[in-house]
Amino acid sequence: MKQEISALMDGELFDDDVGMVMDHLKRDHATRMNWATYHLIGDVLRQPDHIHSDLSAKVHERMRDEPALLVSRGHAVKQKMRTFALSAVASLSAVGVVAWMSLQISPEIAPQLAMQQAAMRPASMQIQPKSDNYLMAHQEFSPSTDVNGGASYIRTVSYGIDDSPPKNNQTEKQAK
Amino acid sequence: MTERDVDQQLVERVQRGDKHAFDLLVSKYQRRLGRLISRFVRDAAEAEDVTQDAFIKAYRALPGFRGESAFYTWLYRIGINTAKNHLLANKRRAPTSTPFDAEDAESFEEASLLREVNTPENELMSKQVVDVVQASLQQLPEDLRSALTLREIEGLSYEEIAGVMNCPVGTVRSRIFRAREAVAENLRPLLETSKGKRW
Repeated sequence: MKQEISALMDGELFDDDVGMVMDHLKRDHATRMNWATYHLIGDVLRQPDHIHSDLSAKVHERMRDEPALLVSRGHAVKQKMRTFALSAVASLSAVGVVAWMSLQISPEIAPQLAMQQAAMRPASMQIQPKSDNYLMAHQEFSPSTDVNGGASYIRTVSYGIDDSPPKNNQTEKQAK
Repeated sequence: MTERDVDQQLVERVQRGDKHAFDLLVSKYQRRLGRLISRFVRDAAEAEDVTQDAFIKAYRALPGFRGESAFYTWLYRIGINTAKNHLLANKRRAPTSTPFDAEDAESFEEASLLREVNTPENELMSKQVVDVVQASLQQLPEDLRSALTLREIEGLSYEEIAGVMNCPVGTVRSRIFRAREAVAENLRPLLETSKGKRW
């Protein structure tokens, strides 16, 4: 039995034997002492500076006043079902919201929405000619020059035929 | 079956009314939990009381434990809350202003702190326990010592140890057991010397 206790505490006991060994632990005080001693050895080897007196006897004494727990299997299953049900409801709600939003933009309404958005576009401003130099100098900082958001960070470079194998223009990202 | 599965099975047994299964969890985690709580409660006697309180609270809260996290993670959260509530009740601040979780707290290396708060009697006893374990380990044959060290200190699985030691898993199982039992043989007389205070 001691060898089974040793394997059990390492999580290396065969599944079929676990119930039998745990039943033995429940019945036999000496077997529980072996379990405690083996764990103490492990704790000493891992943390020799953190060893203190055994509290289990004191906790056991205080546990005398505590009622035995009787959590029914149904209760545990119910709790798991509740968790699953809540997750399912949340997922369905999310799908429902997305579906509802997509239905709001039906093919009939879409052109109207597009028209409204066009109407909301800001009118183009007349830029003073004296601002041109300033805008030219700072155009790289303007988001409006971005084609796909990152174009302003890309530089076009080319290599001569003599010193580079590739013949086509290449682009490289310019660290900014 | 992993260690976590073993804990879960013990928890389910406690939930079905088996108090002895809870004793096994206490035996397993008392020193780790005590070490964690002593990060907050520096007085040794108080830390011991708070550790006991944490176990009792854990027992009472076990009907709500669903196994979504590992048992020790759940237990350590209870331990930290119990320690902080204890300090609040005594209107003291936790000894650290930095928030940390159970794993961080456990990994702290501050042995001097524990030595400070241990009573001379406790310190002597713990020193004897450590000496006996370490001396017994040194007396073991090389293969047993290696197997036990790889398991307890390196945390390797039996399969990994079998790979390292180039032997079957069954041999690893046997070597680890024989090593533990040899050390336990030397330890038992010491553990049973102080009446009512087993180490």
